[in-house]
Amino acid sequence: MTAIIEARGLTKSYGDTPALRGVDLNVQPGRIVGLIGPNGAGKTTVIKSILGLSSFHGELKVLGKDPRTERNELMNEVCFIADVAVLPRWLKVSQALDFVAGVHPRFDRKKAEEFLAKTDIRNDRRVRQLSKGMVTQLHLALILAIDARLLVLDEPTLGLDLLFRRAFYDNLLNDYFDKERTILVTTHQVEEIENILTDVIFIQHGKIVLDSPMEALGERFAQLVPATGNVDRARALKPIDERDVFGRAAMLFDGCNRAELESLGEVRIPSVADLFVAMMQPGRAPAASQKEAA
Amino acid sequence: MSTMLLMVRREFWEHRSLWIAPLVWAGIIIVLSAWVFLFLIPKHAPAGVLEATHVEEIQGLNADDRKELGQAIETGKAHEAANATVSFSFLGIALLISIFACIVVFFYLIDCLFSERRDRSILFWKSLPLSDTQTVLSKLAVALVVVPLGVLVLAAVTQLVLFSIFWLRFHGTLFGNVLADWNFVGWFQALVVELAILLCGVVWYAPIAAWFLMLSAWARKLVFLWAIVPLAALPALEGVFFQSRHVLDFIGRRFLGFVPAMHLDQSAFNMGNHGVAAPRIGEVLAAVDVPGVLLSSEAWLGMAAAAAMIFVTIRIRRYRDDS
Repeated sequence: MTAIIEARGLTKSYGDTPALRGVDLNVQPGRIVGLIGPNGAGKTTVIKSILGLSSFHGELKVLGKDPRTERNELMNEVCFIADVAVLPRWLKVSQALDFVAGVHPRFDRKKAEEFLAKTDIRNDRRVRQLSKGMVTQLHLALILAIDARLLVLDEPTLGLDLLFRRAFYDNLLNDYFDKERTILVTTHQVEEIENILTDVIFIQHGKIVLDSPMEALGERFAQLVPATGNVDRARALKPIDERDVFGRAAMLFDGCNRAELESLGEVRIPSVADLFVAMMQPGRAPAASQKEAA
Repeated sequence: MSTMLLMVRREFWEHRSLWIAPLVWAGIIIVLSAWVFLFLIPKHAPAGVLEATHVEEIQGLNADDRKELGQAIETGKAHEAANATVSFSFLGIALLISIFACIVVFFYLIDCLFSERRDRSILFWKSLPLSDTQTVLSKLAVALVVVPLGVLVLAAVTQLVLFSIFWLRFHGTLFGNVLADWNFVGWFQALVVELAILLCGVVWYAPIAAWFLMLSAWARKLVFLWAIVPLAALPALEGVFFQSRHVLDFIGRRFLGFVPAMHLDQSAFNMGNHGVAAPRIGEVLAAVDVPGVLLSSEAWLGMAAAAAMIFVTIRIRRYRDDS
């Protein structure tokens, strides 16, 4: 199957500051990919490049098209929510429906209306009269009713309360996602999306430091809470991270012999958040990216 | 095509002043004029109780005037003069509305590609399958096609409303019999002249519209100052440093030059030359040199400049990344 997104050597600088330093990506159809990184890591720059909103160097094909030169065609099949609250404040809900229905050949107005009927959003309201959560719901209603092959979400739930965030991702999974579609989502609220992702990509300082399917994380990484007497032996195996959890050391290993670890204590699969913290710590990144390169 | 219509409608959703402000302005014109008709001009103007048949009794006319007026009424020339007068006041109404619409469109143009960046809604519009070319052209179409046609319709309606008020007030009087003797020909002729002048104006102002649109896409902030300050500062600087006024002449020509370019036959507007038998609107129409404007090198250079600036505007909207 052809890749939905295929990037090779994406670079981009803002003045002297490099934003992307050779990013490679390969996103297959039917995946939900989390692009995760700290602020300023280059997430938004990657997203903007994919959407043809920003210039860059390197090779990039999205649905087989170059977003720099074929953006207009691309937008028929790609949809995005870039950041929160970009719906104009003067727009009425009914006008939003009229407009998108009129200009988007793949928009299913009935679907959007059904979605809105389940919310408190009234058709005659303007965006400025809606709460932040409702604006996001409205935006989601518009986007989910578009039959797009690739949906890109850039921090879609920033600033929303937990109820809205949970509902947002539930809707995304239940009302939208299927094997034909691909979702690329950036966030730094890792915990909330890790159970919906099929793939996870870590980006730091403009470089990809981890790119893995979720199911492969358990094979590659392990978290060990060594038995009291085994701490030093465990340390000798060079964990990529160690921290204290309730007075006991919790160590994170990348690519270690599982049987050996199990002999030292309690082993479990680390969460994406654990990995994120371990790999994004200052000073950790070079080691992690070397491992990636190797 | 339906996409373009919807995009134009969208502009009126966002910039409600585009239609509300001219309507309010026309309303003000109607109310003020009605107030003048009803309260400031005595019903039996100009000189007491007079019927058209009592020319002798009009005060303040000498014998010659009286004779001329009597003849004019008999031969129907007064009728023509009345039509002309009515048509000219109609043109005046259209002019008032057009000037106001120009101001409204100015604010629209400097805002339309700026506000979407300020509130970042450009990221929403760009998530839809609409090209930057379509977007920029839809905004240009609002300024150069939709609003001018709206002005024409609004002027025609305002004229009818005002004339109805006038007629209700003065019919049956001399003033009324001469001036308020309604016929559609005068109204329609005025409309044709308005359309001709509007066409010249749109062609002439296209580069200015494109210039403001480009500023709207380009300026990071203070787009109003970017639009206004150079117009005043550049002529001033030229005056100070070179003691010349080429820039001022150029700006003046681009802003008002289409009036001389129409080669208006001044005499057609000079009521005095015609005495009571004022010019007919048809003469004025003949005096508006529409082909002279549309085929002038200035108009074509302006259109070329407008096209170039629109191209740049589309590129800026496509490739600028400041959201």
